[in-house]
Amino acid sequence: MTELLTGAQVMCRVLLEQGVDVMFGYPGGAIMPFYHALPEYPELRHVLVRHEQAAAHAADGYARASGRPGVCVATSGPGATNLVTGLATAHMDSAPVVAITGQVPRNMIGRDAFQETDILGITQPITKHNVLVQDAELLADALRDAFAIALEGRPGPVLVDVPKDVQNQKIEYQAGGSRREQAGADGKRPAPDALREAARLIAEAERPLIMAGHGVQLAGAYDELRCLAERTGMPVITTLLGISGFPESHPLHLGMPGMHGEVHVNRAIQQADLIVGVGLRFDDRVTGNTAAFAPRAKIVHIELDPSEVGKNIPVAVALMGDCREILHRLLRLVQPRDCTAWRCEIAGLARVREEQYRGGLSPAGILTALNEVTEGRCTIVSDVGQHQMWVAKLFPYQRPNTHITSGGLGTMGFAVPAAMGVRLARPDEPVWAISGDGGFQMNMQEIATMVQEQIPVKMAIFNNGYLGMVRQWQQFFHGRRYSATPIWSPDYVKLATAYGVAGWRVEDAHQTRDTLRQAMAVPGPALVEFMIEQEANVFPMIPPGASLSEPIEGEPAPLVST
Amino acid sequence: MSSCQTLSVVLDHELVTFTRAVGVLRRRNFPIKSIAVGPSASPGLARLTIMMQTDPTTADRAARQLEKIVGVHQAAAFPMGDGVARELALVKVRAGQERYGELLDVALLYKATIVDESADAAILEVSGSEAFVVSFLRALERFEVLEVARSGAVVLERAAAGPTPHPLTPEAV
Repeated sequence: MTELLTGAQVMCRVLLEQGVDVMFGYPGGAIMPFYHALPEYPELRHVLVRHEQAAAHAADGYARASGRPGVCVATSGPGATNLVTGLATAHMDSAPVVAITGQVPRNMIGRDAFQETDILGITQPITKHNVLVQDAELLADALRDAFAIALEGRPGPVLVDVPKDVQNQKIEYQAGGSRREQAGADGKRPAPDALREAARLIAEAERPLIMAGHGVQLAGAYDELRCLAERTGMPVITTLLGISGFPESHPLHLGMPGMHGEVHVNRAIQQADLIVGVGLRFDDRVTGNTAAFAPRAKIVHIELDPSEVGKNIPVAVALMGDCREILHRLLRLVQPRDCTAWRCEIAGLARVREEQYRGGLSPAGILTALNEVTEGRCTIVSDVGQHQMWVAKLFPYQRPNTHITSGGLGTMGFAVPAAMGVRLARPDEPVWAISGDGGFQMNMQEIATMVQEQIPVKMAIFNNGYLGMVRQWQQFFHGRRYSATPIWSPDYVKLATAYGVAGWRVEDAHQTRDTLRQAMAVPGPALVEFMIEQEANVFPMIPPGASLSEPIEGEPAPLVST
Repeated sequence: MSSCQTLSVVLDHELVTFTRAVGVLRRRNFPIKSIAVGPSASPGLARLTIMMQTDPTTADRAARQLEKIVGVHQAAAFPMGDGVARELALVKVRAGQERYGELLDVALLYKATIVDESADAAILEVSGSEAFVVSFLRALERFEVLEVARSGAVVLERAAAGPTPHPLTPEAV
């Protein structure tokens, strides 16, 4: 049965077909027909953001928290270009996002019309796919394909650009599904020989490690990962995006590797004779200098995206496909063993660090208090910088996919808007957006969105008056020349008040628990500012380009003035 | 070890798909020597042939990046020796009556055809391997070469060699 609908109505109908319940967007000239149709479909909730970048981050957060595509909408020109950072963020971290943009009418395309921009050309390198829909007859299938492509295989963002006159064009609409064949049905399975070889390497290794990345979360391979670790006794390292894929309290959990990984974690990598990489891409922040990375180790790489295998480091055995399925099949071949001697050796490499913080407000203290107050039941969305590393390393994540951050692109300003999406995907769970004073000021306008749309995100700011991570690099590598890193902040408590939101400032460790409790208790959004040590550093640190064997573990010697 | 590698790609015959494919090669910094594109045996599909001066692993990495593009149906990397490569060149040469015979001798030697001529210039067409075409152009240097248009190589994998399985596909691991 067909119905005569406008292109805009077709867009709404396909969104409903795809099970979309919320989208994040901002109207404008070229997307007005869509916004005109939207009120006819009250099941489609629209969240009006304050900047399109936030719409893309919120859709990304929604996608990461739910596993379903997040949807963002913008008009042509500046609306579309404002999505760019959010799409690039989603692309680097494999988040399924569908972006819908208005475009100038077809007869105006290519004439530098008002608010015209080649968003297809602009977003080509930062989307998994994008399409300009030239005829409303193609619109429904283009959108259905967008959802299918965003989710299939390794997920990613897809942009659908719809000229204004196509949104107004009337066509016969017929409900249906995507024409694309189900991903994974293309017979991409590792050969039994490769699986047997991997099992043999695991059995024979003396110092084996598991490195688990984002792929574990994307495939939901938590049980399989744990099973492999427990059967073999192999210690588990979780990358920044792999964090919360394996319980932190588990005796086999080692921690985060790479630039800010603990010394014993990186030393373990350097001494390992086998690394089983599960759903990770051996990013440079993980490997340090690749030529010196894990010099003794053979690598077994379990990975969905064939283009990632052998891209950064050579691989002994490649097992390509969904990591849950591969781990499941591998488990049938892996014999029980233990790694007691190896684990003792690693434990012997661990170091204890003593650091002093103003008012006793240590990042560890704040995050421990947050864990206690939430009883471990919350999702943390972090921003980018020093606090991101503390949040990654110091919060004891126990439940899967409860740590969400911009890993690959390292997008400051991600946490606050992404947390809105996370919260809408997880309405029954407290969601904390943790930012530094720099990143918070990049998207703090979204407090207005939280208020208008009643999205109770709890916000924490680690305020040290600096762009802390850049300042740390300046201290270590640029002779302490703090160029453009001191950053002034407004009075955040007053800012919260101006938005009609509860706000607190914490200057002493003793206030932490009570304040966090109060913030949790208020029904709506809440903001807590922590005045932390100004020149606190994230230790240890592998200098950029150095090997994992060369960590910096303390402050550089102060400059001697002559 | 760096040598001449071929990427042979079957993709939708659409400008947007060509730009996607070429864009990936550019932004991932692959060392491209030539690109040629034209229709393939199947309607609606084109064959894109890319020559790279690189090692087999890098060429293979490029193929796997190309395979991820929506609209790319097949991407294979193989060493130049495993394929038959041909390129076509058109060369406009100034050739007055006095040296016309000399020009004809060169054309004959390279099995080149004179496809256009006027009072003082001619266009020669030659095809062959890249080395052959380069050699022909060298031979023409003693004349006044006005313009050159080269197609870039098109390649088909030798019947005996291909299509080979991907070095890292499951069957090959």
